[in-house]
Amino acid sequence: MSTTTVRASRRADTPAVRVGPLARAARRFGVRMVAPSALLLVVLLAIPSLLTVAYSVHKVPSNGASLGEFVGFDNFAVVLSSPVFWSSMRTTLIFSAGFVVLSTVIGLATAVLLNQEFVGRSFARALLIVPWAMPWLVLGILWRWYADGSVGGLNSLLLTLGVIDDYQEFLADPTSALLLTIVAAVWRQASFAGILFLSGLQTLPAELNEAAELDGAGIWGRFLHITLAWLRPVLITVTVLNVIYAFLQFDVIFAMTQGGPGDATQVLSILIYRQLFVVTNIGLGSALAVVLGALALVGGLVTVKLLYSSESR
Amino acid sequence: MTVSSPAVPASRPRPARNGRGGRRRRPLVTVVIYLGAVVFALWVLLPVWYLLVSSLITPAQLGVRPFPMVPSSITLDNYVSLLTGSTGGDAFGSTDVGARLVPAIGQSFLVSTVLVVLNLLLAGIAGYALSRYPFRGSRTFELTIIASRVVPAIAIVGPFFVAFRVLELLDTPWALIISYNVFTLPLAIMVLKNYFDQLPHEIEEAASIDGAGRLRALAVVVLPIAKPGIVAAGVLIFLEAWSEFFYSLVLTNQLTVPPLLVGFQSVQQFNWNSLAAATVLAMIPPVLLVLAFQRHVVSALAAGYDK
Repeated sequence: MSTTTVRASRRADTPAVRVGPLARAARRFGVRMVAPSALLLVVLLAIPSLLTVAYSVHKVPSNGASLGEFVGFDNFAVVLSSPVFWSSMRTTLIFSAGFVVLSTVIGLATAVLLNQEFVGRSFARALLIVPWAMPWLVLGILWRWYADGSVGGLNSLLLTLGVIDDYQEFLADPTSALLLTIVAAVWRQASFAGILFLSGLQTLPAELNEAAELDGAGIWGRFLHITLAWLRPVLITVTVLNVIYAFLQFDVIFAMTQGGPGDATQVLSILIYRQLFVVTNIGLGSALAVVLGALALVGGLVTVKLLYSSESR
Repeated sequence: MTVSSPAVPASRPRPARNGRGGRRRRPLVTVVIYLGAVVFALWVLLPVWYLLVSSLITPAQLGVRPFPMVPSSITLDNYVSLLTGSTGGDAFGSTDVGARLVPAIGQSFLVSTVLVVLNLLLAGIAGYALSRYPFRGSRTFELTIIASRVVPAIAIVGPFFVAFRVLELLDTPWALIISYNVFTLPLAIMVLKNYFDQLPHEIEEAASIDGAGRLRALAVVVLPIAKPGIVAAGVLIFLEAWSEFFYSLVLTNQLTVPPLLVGFQSVQQFNWNSLAAATVLAMIPPVLLVLAFQRHVVSALAAGYDK
């Protein structure tokens, strides 16, 4: 699946095929067609991002009307020396690790399952799409009540199964609250990962498995050396997206716990929201936002690096 | 990148089993597969079923322990009171907050539809140009919009808020139609660019010989063939716009459905039955849309995230 190489080589020989004024006219046409979108994105994405970076090195008045006094890296120094930041960072990392691992593993397992032949498979494949089609916020509300301590379905289920003796206030307990926000977010993201994995699996030639079976490879060996090897490009994409989604998650936690109980589920995005809109400390909030953006970027890049190097091993 | 998959030995005789369908499985494997299918169905369906049942029963039934997963009787009262604005959820003074749901659904439809039309136009020509008429810097542009995914919405909403306050656009659909471009436009460009990449070049080459202009070739020759990709991109844009919560929370006063649902949660008198009915109404449009265009959307999704 060397799509990148195919595209690159086609692009490389395009100018060679079209020569002279015709080629220049074609490129000008390209620029003109992309220009409206590019302009819009510069205005809406690049300028606000830069403004936020600018805010982060100023002591911005709380109405946000001007930049205020330039303070250099003072905001970042405050952030990095604050125990609240580090506790939020720890929560973010726990949430992200759980989210990335579970979404990827459950998504992969689902895709392998739905790639088998069984009665009801097309119904199951339609089911796979449902969590992904739900807005993050809607499933946050759904899980908030599913986990509710007095009318929740989860309590009812666990009670019927005999796992618990009485209804529990899951979202009032720091550990189970964090765990449940992870499960709720994974519920949707595993379906997204499953969709991508499944469409990757459907391009896997059956001959590969049959040949390996003749060679005496077991189920596990075939999974490792054929299925996983075939899915590696998709696996990289899915994992990187999962890492980014993990760091930027806001809706589900806001709907379920708003960061509570206490600060048990206060991931960075919730902390920033409080800084910007509850305490209205724009300078500090912006510094935090810059840290979060950098974290998502670095997280994504590190994931790409790790997965690529594991491939060449 | 290349996949290090073991080469298929060409000389080896094909297995005696004929095709994929006729393959016999060991009984144990079959049991495991069906067991897995049941676990998967429960994992997806239990929360959704809980939501549906909650929206169809009375508060008295809701209080029963264990929760009546198969209720003895159902009622549409929760939906009726939402749609007529008599949920009894009085937030401040005497206004019934439930009455705000129908207008919010209207606003969500307005914002999402306008964005779909605008983005398909902009991203259509941009994606087509990136696919067929690359220029110096076009690859950098693609990489930049892919990388823009890591920019947290929370990091750019502040400047939007200030600008919209000056322009007096706060709490209008325009605030959302403008700001949502930040995430819908890059997605639409990549999905459409990748889709155009899969279409054979010969179609336009034949058209240019006829002397048709480039834009005319796009409109007359390419668009009809590209319909599945355009539909899929449209569905994805609609989905993203319909689902968006954060910008709407900050830039409007619960104008669209998601922030309104959160608002419902903080109104004491507004019970879970009514909220469940509102939540079901909020998820019907995206779920139906995706199920209706399942095949297109899945292939566009797979292509759109393939870098």
